[in-house]
Amino acid sequence: MKLLFTLTGSQLEALALMSGEKLKYCVPADLGYEIYTAGAAVDRYAKDVFLVVTNRQFMVLAGDQVVSRRLLKDCEKIRCEHQVGCGIITVTDREGNDSCVARVSMRQIVRASYAVRGAQAIVRSLKETGNDGAAEEITSSEYETYCEKCGRALPGTSRCPYCEGKLDIFKKLWSLCGEYVGKLVLISLSMLVISGMNMASPMVQRWFIDDALATGKGTWRDLGIFVGISFGFLVGAILLEVWKNLACIRLGSELAMSLREKLYYKIQILSLSFINKRKPGELMNRVSRDTGRIREFFEEVFGYMCSTLLTMIVSLVVMLMISVKMTLMSLAFVVVVFALMKIFWHHIHVIFERQWIKSDELSNSIQDIISGMRIVKTFGTEEREAERFAKKSAEYAEVSSKNETFWAVFFPILTFLLGCGTYIAVLFGGQNVLEGRMTLGQLVQFMTYSGYLFGPLGWMTHLPRMVMQMATSLNRIYDVLDEEPRIKDRDGSKGIEIKGNFKFDKVSFGYNTYEPVLENIDFEVKPGEMIGLVGASGTGKSTLINLIMRLYDPDQGRILLDGVDLRDVKVESLHSQIGVVLQETFLFSGSILDNIRFAKQNATLAEVIRAAKAANAHDFICKTPDGYNTYVGEHGYNLSGGERQRIAIARAILNNPKLLILDEATSALDTESEFLIQQALNRLIKGRTTFAIAHRLSTLREANRLVVIDKHSVAEIGSHNELLEKKGIYYGLVTAQLKMAEGRSEEGGQSQSA
Amino acid sequence: MENEQMDLLDLNINDEFDEEALKKESEELLEMRFLTADNAVFARTEGGFVSLKFGEKEYKRVGVYLTFPLTNPEEFISIREADEKAKEIGMVEALSQLPKDQQEMLREQIRLRYFMPVIKKVLDVKEEYGYAYWHVETSFGVCRFTTHMSGDVVVSLSDSRLLVKDIDGNRYEIPDFYALGVQERKKLDLFI
Repeated sequence: MKLLFTLTGSQLEALALMSGEKLKYCVPADLGYEIYTAGAAVDRYAKDVFLVVTNRQFMVLAGDQVVSRRLLKDCEKIRCEHQVGCGIITVTDREGNDSCVARVSMRQIVRASYAVRGAQAIVRSLKETGNDGAAEEITSSEYETYCEKCGRALPGTSRCPYCEGKLDIFKKLWSLCGEYVGKLVLISLSMLVISGMNMASPMVQRWFIDDALATGKGTWRDLGIFVGISFGFLVGAILLEVWKNLACIRLGSELAMSLREKLYYKIQILSLSFINKRKPGELMNRVSRDTGRIREFFEEVFGYMCSTLLTMIVSLVVMLMISVKMTLMSLAFVVVVFALMKIFWHHIHVIFERQWIKSDELSNSIQDIISGMRIVKTFGTEEREAERFAKKSAEYAEVSSKNETFWAVFFPILTFLLGCGTYIAVLFGGQNVLEGRMTLGQLVQFMTYSGYLFGPLGWMTHLPRMVMQMATSLNRIYDVLDEEPRIKDRDGSKGIEIKGNFKFDKVSFGYNTYEPVLENIDFEVKPGEMIGLVGASGTGKSTLINLIMRLYDPDQGRILLDGVDLRDVKVESLHSQIGVVLQETFLFSGSILDNIRFAKQNATLAEVIRAAKAANAHDFICKTPDGYNTYVGEHGYNLSGGERQRIAIARAILNNPKLLILDEATSALDTESEFLIQQALNRLIKGRTTFAIAHRLSTLREANRLVVIDKHSVAEIGSHNELLEKKGIYYGLVTAQLKMAEGRSEEGGQSQSA
Repeated sequence: MENEQMDLLDLNINDEFDEEALKKESEELLEMRFLTADNAVFARTEGGFVSLKFGEKEYKRVGVYLTFPLTNPEEFISIREADEKAKEIGMVEALSQLPKDQQEMLREQIRLRYFMPVIKKVLDVKEEYGYAYWHVETSFGVCRFTTHMSGDVVVSLSDSRLLVKDIDGNRYEIPDFYALGVQERKKLDLFI
């Protein structure tokens, strides 16, 4: 993302830079900046307003005027505060007074927060070292949302698909067909032959009528030849047609299959940030229904469309050769039909897009209700939910019935208009024959060809709809396929054998750049150390773990694993050496065995049992009717939360990972199981670098060091005893938990005695 | 339980742990505290924010949060501390209960914090490659923005009141869909 916009000469002059002063960041601020003047100033878009950061000053430039100017050495803090639908830039002076200096809409907020972060780095450097040399240079790897050249929205890619390469729909279609060129050529050849046969038979017909029938000189032999040839063409054409249809169906299925696979693969490798933005129902639709549309198009439309078009063109040429006047007359109505089509094109497009949207909504709401079934039932709102769904369903029905009605009316009108053309041709052709300007054979041939031309025209009116549906689906599919994963291996990425040394080097991260979740995390972890992460909910503990697992990349700073930047480690190599047990334990449909073996498919049964035993899962698995073969997942054997968690633990440790991540790993267990697993885990964490999050602090007893995260950064770090002596946040947490535990046991005692 | 206690720390917790303070804090969380003309005075700051004097306490800068921004923007306004935690100081039950000048101050802060232009006129909506490009006249001036082409771009708050969300996360309000001209409504066909 661009952080240094170019200013004009007069704007640069207005800045009045001192000697040795350099422009560092310059980004637009697009909302009104004067907060109070004239009251209405806040309520408008601002043009030509820039936030300018140099190595000495922070300025707001409006037009050719600097409206706000501060020396960075006089600032305590410069922030971009996230508001609702906008952000404000505030500067805190040395006395702790906040001033609002500029305001940006969501469109510029990411850019502005980067620039402001850059300014803050200089402020910090000035404060700590007295000069700006130590300030980190802020860059942004985030993509722009709009193309700089054409102003179109970028579909989550770094390059503009329109400006670079004009990737339009047919090119996409072409690239799609690339792997199937051979088949396409064969199909096209068969189409050519079919059209040829179709074209040839009226010629034979004409010869037969003019030379054999009309002259009265024809013999039985001529009749025999005519019937024989016609019959031969017919049979040949039908056989070829059948073969061609089969080939089209196979092509369609294969295309759809390869698209589905590509999509599925893509969705898997795309970063979580992409998946989180979409609704699951929508992505599911793209994989199943949109690829289905493509298959249908190739099966039902594509083959017929090409051969028909070919036949129509040749028919038109022959018709023109017979009589230009008659052809033009019959074509007059075709023009009318196409004019109508053009007028209704936009409408047709709109109603089909709308039908899609409605059906997406419908499947989303089914998904919603089914996943939230327990909540719906416990609150007894089945009726209301059913009503809501009925309403959605009715909306969909209304839209689709409207669409169908439209076609039901529109289509017969078109057919009628096309029919009129044929009648006119008959009228004039008949007249020509009567006057002897045309032979009977020619008229019959003309009529047959005009049948070839107009017959499919009726069907052709459906074509825009079918092509449109296909194009929409293709667009939706490529929307996902064109998305570039944010997290991917670099050119120089390598696989490493993890020893377990972790170093956080001034790491900052936020799911949205303007809302940092972690700021300036800086500590080092020795190999084999167990680190307990402590802090209130929402402080960023799980986020830190996401960064360690490289589900996201830090916005600023680096994470070094054994001295190598995590971004230079092959993702696969990293993930294969991490064992993870998360708060929400997801089991896949399949047997318990499959689930435990998830990370290491070739594990022996003995290894699986050893892992299950270590996770204290062996006993309950033995008690299930099918043992390790018990089917779990949807419609499968019902496991309790604790049982699931134990399977997840077994899954994590089977791989003998170098790095262990436990995010509330034992939260769903009863005290006894937790104790047992804790024992197992304690054995397990020996010699492995372990990061553990737990709210029950007793779980972190074995931790070598505890990292307390508060207000987005590391507040305290040290061993249990060190932190207790410090009497800070950790001390407070421990005492609060003990107090609560005491309170509970007192209450328990009372109720027992009562 | 005793085991755990032994394991964790060997201190006498009772004289260190301020239970009273915690209890007080949790009660404070539950309490409905209202700021009125009698107990609170707001004033503009030089930096463009408002300060608050509430009883004996003085706050250099406070945050003004709407609790029902879409339905009741002038009621139950939560006044919070300006720091990260944004602890609630109290609520203004209805803006109209405050003196005129202070009402104005709070409205300014609300305008600063909440940005949601009202679409007055739809000039053009063009669709291309899965995005819709809007050209509209808003309460903030003429503006161009882009939305995805999916069902959740336009959210209906009521039968006629709509919210449009663009790809950057800006939200635009159409207060009354039926107040738009026929031609303009037609341009929105795709989303309604």
